[in-house]
Amino acid sequence: MAEERRGSWFGFGFCGFGQALGSGRGRQVHSPEPLRTPGAGADVRRVSASWSYTAVVTRGGQVQLSGAADGAAGGCRDAWASEALLVVLRAGRGLGPGPELQAWAPGSALRGEPLWTHTLVPEAEGADGAGGEAQAGALPLLPGARAYVSPRPPFYRPLAPELRARRLELGAEHALLLDEAGQVFSWGQGRHGQLGHGTLEAEPEPRLLEALQGLPMAEVAAGGWHSVCVSETGDIYIWGWNESGQLALPTRSLSEDGKTVAREGEASGLNEGGPEVRRTAGGEEGAPAPFIALQPFPALLDLPGGADAVKASCGSRHTAVVTRTGELYTWGWGKYGQLGHKGTTSLDRPRRVEYFVDKQLQVRAVSCGLWNTYVCAVERGES
Amino acid sequence: MAEDNREPPAGAGTLREALRALLPHRKEELVPELGEKVERSVVQLLWEAAELFCGGRRSECLQASEAILDYSWEKLNTGPWQDVHKDWRRVYAFGCLLKAVCLFEEPGDSAAVAAALKACDMGLLMGAAIHGDILIKVAAVLQAHLPSAKRPGPGLAEEQPSMKKARDDCVSVPDVASERLVPRLRCPSLQHFRKQFLVPGRPVILEGVADQWPCMTKWSLEYIQDIAGCRTVPVEVGSRYTDEDWSQTLMTVDEFISRYVRSESKDVGYLAQHQLFDQIPELKRDISIPDYCCLGDGEEEEITINAWFGPQGTVSPLHQDPQQNFLVQVIGRKYIRLYSPQESEALYPHETHLLHNTSQRIGRQ
Repeated sequence: MAEERRGSWFGFGFCGFGQALGSGRGRQVHSPEPLRTPGAGADVRRVSASWSYTAVVTRGGQVQLSGAADGAAGGCRDAWASEALLVVLRAGRGLGPGPELQAWAPGSALRGEPLWTHTLVPEAEGADGAGGEAQAGALPLLPGARAYVSPRPPFYRPLAPELRARRLELGAEHALLLDEAGQVFSWGQGRHGQLGHGTLEAEPEPRLLEALQGLPMAEVAAGGWHSVCVSETGDIYIWGWNESGQLALPTRSLSEDGKTVAREGEASGLNEGGPEVRRTAGGEEGAPAPFIALQPFPALLDLPGGADAVKASCGSRHTAVVTRTGELYTWGWGKYGQLGHKGTTSLDRPRRVEYFVDKQLQVRAVSCGLWNTYVCAVERGES
Repeated sequence: MAEDNREPPAGAGTLREALRALLPHRKEELVPELGEKVERSVVQLLWEAAELFCGGRRSECLQASEAILDYSWEKLNTGPWQDVHKDWRRVYAFGCLLKAVCLFEEPGDSAAVAAALKACDMGLLMGAAIHGDILIKVAAVLQAHLPSAKRPGPGLAEEQPSMKKARDDCVSVPDVASERLVPRLRCPSLQHFRKQFLVPGRPVILEGVADQWPCMTKWSLEYIQDIAGCRTVPVEVGSRYTDEDWSQTLMTVDEFISRYVRSESKDVGYLAQHQLFDQIPELKRDISIPDYCCLGDGEEEEITINAWFGPQGTVSPLHQDPQQNFLVQVIGRKYIRLYSPQESEALYPHETHLLHNTSQRIGRQ
């Protein structure tokens, strides 16, 4: 489990609820701005952003909320923000040595009582050799990897032990799991091709991505309706819905609207009788690219200049990738400035976020909220 | 309309008043009633948008309504459509309503009115009714104020008769003599229809039932463009929905007619199975519901009316409808082949859930 290096955090995109994102003026930030968090900004260990609020976890064990939910609490090792629930992993509150999983209503400001709690068994941590410290930051996957948290009931969801999960990500209607061997599994709804098994069918249980078998993955990331993974050798595989260009494949909506954002109209569900199938990818290199609405199995994506990727994160309809040399590339839906290219244009191809290059900063980590992006970067020259 | 952009066009003031008269004045009345499914943060944003609207802060209200639209749009696209909670569709409709009314408030130009009308249509297509079908009323008001210069010029229409005639001459007509024809009856009694056709499940063509409907004399391409040309509708592009390069998209009725009906398009475009008459009540006045529909199981409110509108060459692959229905052919002609339910096994339904009521047999219908 990769740790967040010490560095400074920056944010851009939607902040209509006043969540921490730089200056906090207006509803959108179009270019990266340093995060202003109370207390030591450099001490941020994890940022987890939901639509209307952001949770920041510091190395000192503080979780700080900003936006539609505010408040702070201590003794916290990890936090995961969603609109329905704020999930916090706290050092045992006296009931035993194991950490306690708490689910709070975001509006509670972490005061009073959580909606529900679950005490984790201490032996479950470290069973696979991973220390409790390294496991923190893995929410919604729980320490011990026996279960994960869902924002919809049932909140506590067990995982088959043979899955040996290392990382788990949730999209709007699907889940991705990365196991210890670097294999990727997916399950949930498949109507947008986000499961990657080559069909639009739903999968009730975790199913192995056969197309990626034998290619060990280092990272997985789930967007609203798309999926990304990064291999140990730095290759990016991407699949799912491409309505705003979030797969970095040509999308009709951007070509027809020119500079404006993807039309709202490309939604499904209009025709109750007929199916919602759209054109699927040709998948051939070199062929004139048709517009691609859905990509139901993984496609290899090359970054400009052949850069190797190391980290990835997805918002609801955008994608962000960090390269080995510390650059940040973003693409997809840009209406709220979440791509960080100083505008609100959506993109269907990767573009480097020049801010970090201009400021001589090396990007180390990225964490996307639904409509915004948080980035951790260090001065070049620091290791 | 006034050419001078420094002053709002003559009609703008009356349009603004007409729209304002339609909306509740107090923010408490403006925000729709919503249940628990809608998150607290969203409700907070709805109230904020309503307050901005009532306070006359149009551009800020527009920004808030965009966020409401974008967030609820994501909910509308999460999970199967039939499982989407109606409250999210109400939120979406509310976002469309505010957007339509605030968009317009910018110093008047016809592009803004067209965009506002499109916002209404999005709310009608994907949202759920709020404030007693207010989007229909707003759409009607906007449409009345849309300058007719927005429509395609009459020059285009003049060329059409000869073009269409030429195409009709080359169309191939299936030879039905060798097939078993569906029987035709002229205005049978309800009892006769029920006993001989509805109960035993036998198809029949009823003649004379729709003869007096206004659509039979009024409808033409020009008429439909006049009534509904600027309205946004869903169009299926591609020969048939079982094809790989079939897709659904949105466009105005004007665009649909000029791109797919009047001209020789390489793609087939079909306005298919769309509840057009709920969206555009002016067209609903031209049709009726046959009395025979009252013989069906279920309530009158459950009767749905769909429209199919397209050029020649549209194909609906062999499929089974979930409800009993009547098809009324108003303009043009259609070749329909029916198979008895007893033949189901021979008809190879697709395995996938999305196409499970569609046959894999390549019968042209």
